[in-house]
Amino acid sequence: MSDHADSVVQLLNVSKGFFREKIEIPVLTNTTLHIPRGDFVAIMGPSGSGKSTLLNLCAGLDRPTTGRVIVNGQDLGELSEARLSKWRSENLGFIFQMYNLMPVLTAQENVELPLLLTPLSKSERRKHAAASLRIVGLEDRADHLPRQLSGGQEQRVAIARALANDPVLLLADEPTGNLDAASALEVLDLLESLNAQFGTTVIMVTHDPKAARRAKRLLHLEKGTFVQADLEALEATR
Amino acid sequence: MKYVPLILRNVSRNKIRSLFTGASIAVSLFLVVVLYSLLMVQDEMAAGAEQYNRVAVQNVQGLTGNLPIAYVDRIRKLSGVRSAIPMSWFGGRYSDEKTTFAQFGTDPRYTFDVYEDYKVPPEQLKAWQADRTGCIVGSLIAKNKGWKIGDKLPLKGDIYPVDLELTVRGIYDGPSSTDREMLWFHFDYLDEALKKKNSPMAGNAGIVMLRATSAGKIPELIEDIERAFASSDAPAKALTEKQFGQQFMEMAGNVRGFIRYTSIAVVVALLCVAANTMAMSIRERTREIALLKAIGFSRSTVLGLFLSESVLIGMLGGVVGAMSAKLLFELVDFSKAMTGMGWFYVPWSTTLAGVGLATAIGLISGIIPAWRAAQISVVDGLRRIA
Repeated sequence: MSDHADSVVQLLNVSKGFFREKIEIPVLTNTTLHIPRGDFVAIMGPSGSGKSTLLNLCAGLDRPTTGRVIVNGQDLGELSEARLSKWRSENLGFIFQMYNLMPVLTAQENVELPLLLTPLSKSERRKHAAASLRIVGLEDRADHLPRQLSGGQEQRVAIARALANDPVLLLADEPTGNLDAASALEVLDLLESLNAQFGTTVIMVTHDPKAARRAKRLLHLEKGTFVQADLEALEATR
Repeated sequence: MKYVPLILRNVSRNKIRSLFTGASIAVSLFLVVVLYSLLMVQDEMAAGAEQYNRVAVQNVQGLTGNLPIAYVDRIRKLSGVRSAIPMSWFGGRYSDEKTTFAQFGTDPRYTFDVYEDYKVPPEQLKAWQADRTGCIVGSLIAKNKGWKIGDKLPLKGDIYPVDLELTVRGIYDGPSSTDREMLWFHFDYLDEALKKKNSPMAGNAGIVMLRATSAGKIPELIEDIERAFASSDAPAKALTEKQFGQQFMEMAGNVRGFIRYTSIAVVVALLCVAANTMAMSIRERTREIALLKAIGFSRSTVLGLFLSESVLIGMLGGVVGAMSAKLLFELVDFSKAMTGMGWFYVPWSTTLAGVGLATAIGLISGIIPAWRAAQISVVDGLRRIA
């Protein structure tokens, strides 16, 4: 543990399997991982290799079959469901492939959503949300509903929402998977600058080698275990 | 409070569906509130009448039987009786009207002593008492039919084999708990007409209505009256005014039970409609619920959010339905279209109970869908294609 005192994420001998018709299908096998504070990690791997499962475990959205998951010093296995919810609201930011914005809320209100769980007053929430929208360059779209925004803008609002509560860890699941090349580039620039400027730790699951190249570190998962990543070979196959 | 905008946005996200759900609650609540008001107002009237210590004496056979008119004097002489009057339902038809209204042959000397809660100007009372063919009419029926003092009212006998030619001598009024759609005339005028026709109905009153000197005297008085006439040709049964009124409801069958069971059926149907709406709404929002839980919304907060939506729709439907019932019967005078229903109104207590019921429907119907929303797995929910 002492060797990894600066780790934001520690997966210690983590295994995870799913049951399908009483048969256990292993997804992660005895995986150990340390991600230091301020890192920007891209995780790649074929479908079913356990990338999303790994992300879900780091977020406390799922629990390992065996092993421990420690994030920002907190062993997630020790937390009840209710405390885990609260912990997520204080420590994590999520970015999804499908953006997952609330269609009935404006950009500003979507960004404010995680702040509803904090003791901040209405005006403070507004200020925080406005600052987050400014970071992603969408302050002029604060009153727009998601359907009035382009895909790239929607994803930037989602990033602003993920930043609103000032998280220690940003988890991005295929953040560019639904975007055109130009918008994907914008989103990757943004993630890179958040990591560089604010020191926010980013874990990004992606299928796109170009996106993976923007990370400081690349991890490659295959059949539930990390293997040596070869970006050039991956790019060549695309 | 900070969740209110989110709840409002979600309620109004599918306006048509929310509108139809709210409307189905509103229409059903309108019906339930009106039906229950019938019971409430009757109870209210009975409770209002109770303070006047009135007792109705009728033939043991019920309302189809008569009582000899001599019973009135005998009852007046009993200890604990303040005054007594005959009440004979004439049931005649006025003009060309197809429906009848309440017309009673009575004793004008004591009518307003027995019915102290009914008010008439003294000079009108005197004029009625002095005119054998005179009558007194309620303010509501006078207004609806446009009658005024001095008008002639021909009544064609339907139950009795005689016609009456009455003159309006007074118009009585009273609080909302009184029936202001009756017509009272001299019992003697009817009786003379029957005697002239040698009708066997002559010399009989429908019932005797008496006023006791105090409420405490009533049980004893009822026993005395029933005992006094037990061995006569026309044994009598005495009932408090409330019991007497309940007889009419019972004649129409178990009206109270009918109203209650109908209301329960309506409420159950509403619960199903509202629960289905919420379940549909939640199914459509699985990803959003998963997102809320992913970013830190606890199960109890998600449960609360969805229950609030359901309660809000129920409450709004209830407010519209119950208030529509209240305002409709407050602002529109239905007594003209429905003679004999002039006493009816929707009490505030029933209106508010209706809103409460709709809110409870919203709450109960939302429990299962909201609970299921709270249980949605974040991982599965986020995987779901919207």
